[in-house]
Amino acid sequence: MLILSRKLGESIVIDGRITVKIVRLEGDIVKLGIDAPIEVPVHRQEVYEEIQRNNREALAGESANVPTLSTKNGASAILPPSQPGKIIAPKTRG
Amino acid sequence: MKTAEMIEPEIQTISGENVIQIPDGLLGFEQFKKYVLLAQPQEAPFMWLRMIENADKRFIVVSPFQIMPDYQPDISSEDVRFLGLNDPEDALVVNIVTLRPNRVPTINLKGPIVINRHTLIAKQVIPNNASKFDVNHPLPVS
Repeated sequence: MLILSRKLGESIVIDGRITVKIVRLEGDIVKLGIDAPIEVPVHRQEVYEEIQRNNREALAGESANVPTLSTKNGASAILPPSQPGKIIAPKTRG
Repeated sequence: MKTAEMIEPEIQTISGENVIQIPDGLLGFEQFKKYVLLAQPQEAPFMWLRMIENADKRFIVVSPFQIMPDYQPDISSEDVRFLGLNDPEDALVVNIVTLRPNRVPTINLKGPIVINRHTLIAKQVIPNNASKFDVNHPLPVS
């Protein structure tokens, strides 16, 4: 691991396009300002770990049964295979 | 030797055509990259996402829009490119359900699995607006 020392207000640049700046120091909390292109996802590491833990816990054994939904359109509804995903997704270029 | 009590296991044919490829694996299961999505009408809206390389390992998944009609994960343009989505309609979204003894089952809204319905390339993505969503959102069960 590369370790760099930085003072308040100083930055590092990653790959010429991502800037991480030390914005504020409050006791043992360091506030970082991250400037990255829109297509670069930036998340706290805890988010990945939370989903990892959830996936491990969700792994179902052979004896598991699906739950029964109580909503009106739940248990009786059959998912149409062509149901589009309602997501916000920017279009890719050419 | 076959006995009268023996029950024929249900044979599920998996052709190369309906294999879902998850090149990065699911978080925590990075080594498994091939899955199949199995749906039975009596289990709707739930489906099974089963590992092909490890056939007894599977997840219960559900379309999040059946649970939360206004769910709108904001997929990063990097993930959109990775998945080759040209239009939101190209995407099939499923989220993993967790069952726990004596507790309400939950759905992970923070890490949806987005499948390109044409190429069957998939990824468990972390949406840009992931902080809005709960990893253990309770399901309305009866």
